[in-house]
Amino acid sequence: MTMKNNMVMVGEGVGFERIRRITGYLVGTLDRFNNAKRAEVADRVKHGLSDQMERL
Amino acid sequence: MIQQIVKRDGRVVPFELDKITEAIYKAAQALGGQDRSMAEKLATDVVAYLEQKGNEIPSVEQIQDAVEHTLIENGHARTAKEFILYRSTRTRVREMNTKLMKIYEDLTFREAHENDVKRENANIDGDTAMGTMLKYGSEGAKQFDEMFILKPEHSKAHREGDIHIHDLDFYTLTTTCCQIDLTRLFEDGFSTGHGFLREPNSIQSYSALACIAIQANQNDQHGGQSVPAFDFDMARGVAKSYRTLYRANMIKALDLEGVENAEKLVRDAAEKIEAENGGLWPAMDAQNGYTELEFALLAPAAGEEAVKKAQAFARRYADREIDRHTYQAMEALVHNLNTMHSRAGAQIPFSSLNYGTDTSPEGRLVIRNLLLATEAGLGNGETAIFPIHIFKVKEGVNFNPGDPNYDLFKLACKVSAERLFPNFSFIDAPFNLKYYKPGHPETEATYMGCRTRVVGNVYDPSREIVNGRGNLSFTSINLPRLAIKANHNIDFFFEQLDQQLNLVIDQLNHRFKIQCGKKVKNFPFLMGQGIWIDSEHLGPEDTIGEVLKHGTLTAGFIGLAECLTALIGKHHGESQAAQNLGLEIIGCMRKRMDDESAKTGLNYTLIATPAEGLSGRFVRLDRQRYGSIPGVTDREYYTNSFHIPVWFPISAYEKLRLEAPYHALTNAGHISYIELDGDPVKNLDAFESVVRFMKEVGIGYGSINHPLDRDPVCGYTGIIDDVCPRCGRHEGEAIELEKLQKLGLYRHLNAQTLGCCGNPEEEADRVVNPVE
Repeated sequence: MTMKNNMVMVGEGVGFERIRRITGYLVGTLDRFNNAKRAEVADRVKHGLSDQMERL
Repeated sequence: MIQQIVKRDGRVVPFELDKITEAIYKAAQALGGQDRSMAEKLATDVVAYLEQKGNEIPSVEQIQDAVEHTLIENGHARTAKEFILYRSTRTRVREMNTKLMKIYEDLTFREAHENDVKRENANIDGDTAMGTMLKYGSEGAKQFDEMFILKPEHSKAHREGDIHIHDLDFYTLTTTCCQIDLTRLFEDGFSTGHGFLREPNSIQSYSALACIAIQANQNDQHGGQSVPAFDFDMARGVAKSYRTLYRANMIKALDLEGVENAEKLVRDAAEKIEAENGGLWPAMDAQNGYTELEFALLAPAAGEEAVKKAQAFARRYADREIDRHTYQAMEALVHNLNTMHSRAGAQIPFSSLNYGTDTSPEGRLVIRNLLLATEAGLGNGETAIFPIHIFKVKEGVNFNPGDPNYDLFKLACKVSAERLFPNFSFIDAPFNLKYYKPGHPETEATYMGCRTRVVGNVYDPSREIVNGRGNLSFTSINLPRLAIKANHNIDFFFEQLDQQLNLVIDQLNHRFKIQCGKKVKNFPFLMGQGIWIDSEHLGPEDTIGEVLKHGTLTAGFIGLAECLTALIGKHHGESQAAQNLGLEIIGCMRKRMDDESAKTGLNYTLIATPAEGLSGRFVRLDRQRYGSIPGVTDREYYTNSFHIPVWFPISAYEKLRLEAPYHALTNAGHISYIELDGDPVKNLDAFESVVRFMKEVGIGYGSINHPLDRDPVCGYTGIIDDVCPRCGRHEGEAIELEKLQKLGLYRHLNAQTLGCCGNPEEEADRVVNPVE
């Protein structure tokens, strides 16, 4: 906690936690990932759901 | 006249003829020679050769070259060979020492965010003392194993990146993982080495001992620990607790009704009913006959009215309390498995829980409360990283409306959409279904969180079960490299692949031999307490080879997508021809493993390697060797196993459809995941439809990824882009405490706890909520 203009402030320097799945399991946050996996997460695209299931 | 030489470190020192004589003599001695004068003569020849070449101040390397030349010229070829081998070993030892010390230096002085080695395994906090100590041990063991334990051809292949021997640091020590049967373990109690733990008698004890069992077993192996039928295992604890709660409430109620000796009456009746009715207890199923029998025994002494009222009271309160107790037990379990750094290197045990198919009231209560506890998260609402949850989907049990556990499947989807767990496994996938026998949970194929699967059993086909079995070791093949080397020649690729598989099988056997030589006493819990199948028949000094044969010896692979691109220019996400070739390649690998199993009677299997540390290693080596090849070595990682590349735009359904056939081929384990956009909580139907599609196309194990972010300051969990939706903070920004208090947070003025989750007052008010 810090003070600013007589107001108590919290959260200075506190980032957001980004939890991602690594190879099937979770590992907390990205800062724990090794460089290769970080690069992979950065590349990940989303998969759309618009295809019909009738394609089966 | 040579008078000086240059040492490796650059120093110029006086030349000593004796040193050359000594080196030659030692090489000759290794072959049984004893002629020192010959060595002296050869030494002078070496000098003459050097002088003749005009080398006034030769280097050590140049002198050694001259020695080799002279020996060969003089017909001492074998001595020359000995000398050459010695020289090459000395070089490697020197390099190893330097390399190991450099690694230790980096571990010691650089922080994890700068040091990739420290982040090789995301579960180890490389910045802590124990985390670093584990890395010291691990890196030292790896070097030692590479130099002195591995066969030279395996060591070379591993070092150069043709193959990757996983968990090389544990090569001489243990096996990978185990699927633990808790029911069997708890029966009659167990020991972890210091003191005996009695058979647990309440759901809280069952939950606590489950954590202890996982942690104890984790200390005997380097891989994951899973519980294949967690709901079945814990159900017994619920039943025991219910009986205790019912009885206690009965006694209180009768006492309040003024019945004398209520306790003795109730206990005697319970004993009698149990003895005369095959162990009948009061249970969650109120129709099991206990109530009527108890009424008959108590009414004469206590009066019909009193007994009737007491039974209604006892039932009502037992029903309420068992739910609460079970929830608390599951909450404690999730907290424990997420926080106890009891594994070497200050890691949490790598735990996985499989559940979903127990349809008894007790089993259902366990599943429901485990899911709810997972949904609630940890003390500040954080998402629990462990245990990994795997919901076992099975048609007729939990998949369709009308199935007994369908409500739990829906709850599982909801919780997964919020917390990324559970993952989903599919017993109906044909390769899983073939082992399944209804009413026999040990035949339900399960997965480790990472994806390892052990159910088939070539060694003992009468026991194709999951309990007490696991993987022994695995080694992965660098498919992209084989493809690059093949230079578009498919036949040549398959030839090389075949040879590589032979090498890997040879290496798996080599490691297996070492593992078989270990004794029960090397595994005090895994073997000493009979966790591993059949180990209960062995004594402490017995070797474990025979029982290990139930485990799997596994080959793996990485980068099928890059391999296909290297071979034919496209990966299997973008070309049917590539998909066909991909299936042929993986099919060929699987056939080789099957053939080896048939030949030897052991369990050789093929895995879609999880690849955390490995994902960067192979591509780094390949880029060094072959340069940056577009679509192959131009990224920092190889695509995981048979996955469509993460960067390739493709629909969820198409990705699953293409990957499913590979699940059938990789009998040692596989997983498919898809990345969902947005917050799936807002569209649970879509989420569920993806899971349903997985089942329809024959996926064995799958999970759905979506962004899961959390602002530690206000506790918001969900999707955060740049600004937190709850408090409006940017990353790193400070916010007025007053603002947070207006949102209902920090009520207790404690900056450490937020008060938005885990509020003790709120928890006490929880009631049973039906799941619609």
